[in-house]
Amino acid sequence: MPPKPHRVLIGQLSGYAEEAAAFMRRRRTTRKPFARVHYAGGRSASYPPETDEGRALFLAASKLIDAAG
Amino acid sequence: MGVTATRPGTADAELAIARIEELSADLRGCVVIGADGSVLAASGEAEGWAEPATLFLAAVDDAGGEPAAHAHVATEDGEAFAVRHGDLAMLAVTDRFTLASLVVTDMRMALRDLANGEPGRNRSAPERAPAPPPPEGGEGEVIDPTERMG
Repeated sequence: MPPKPHRVLIGQLSGYAEEAAAFMRRRRTTRKPFARVHYAGGRSASYPPETDEGRALFLAASKLIDAAG
Repeated sequence: MGVTATRPGTADAELAIARIEELSADLRGCVVIGADGSVLAASGEAEGWAEPATLFLAAVDDAGGEPAAHAHVATEDGEAFAVRHGDLAMLAVTDRFTLASLVVTDMRMALRDLANGEPGRNRSAPERAPAPPPPEGGEGEVIDPTERMG
C-alpha cells in the first residue's frame, strides 16, 4: 500500500532540513579565517594570513573586534 | 562610487548607526568615519573605536595599493567589515558565520542614506491605501444575456 501523500511531503521536508543542517555543520567546521577586499570596478582580492598584507589585515581586524567588545 | 551630497553631522550618523543596529541581528558594534577620518558616531564609546578603525581602513587600503570599496575579514573571534561611500566609511563587527552579503548591503544602504541626508530612512513597504467603497446600488448592473440577441 503506498504511503499517504502528506507523509511523503513530511518526509521530503525533513530530508531537506537535514541536508541544510549538515551543510551548516560542514561550513562551521571547515571554514577558515579569510580576508577579502573588493575594489571599485568589481575587482576583488583575497589575502591569506601567511602574506604581509593578510597579516596586517588580520591584526587590524582583531583590534577592531576587540573594540566592539 | 557616488559623491557625497551633504556633509552629515553627528546626529545623522547616530541615526544611521541606530538603523543598522536595528537591521543586523549579528551586529556587535559599528562606527561611521567622516571625510576627515574622525569618528562621526559609534556604538558605545566613540574614543575606543578611533584608533582600531583608522588602523583597519589603512590596512585595507594598503593591501591592494588603492582605496577599497568594501572589505571583509573573518577571524576566529568575529568578523570585521568596512564599506565606503564617497568620503564616508562604515566599519562593523559581527558574530562569526554571519551572512556577509546582507551585512554589507545593510551597511551600504545606511551609508548611502546618510550621504543623501536621509539617515534612518524607513525602507519598509508603504501602507496600502484603503480599498475604495463599493459602487452604490449593490453588485452593479445586471445584464440580461438574451436582451441583445436576435
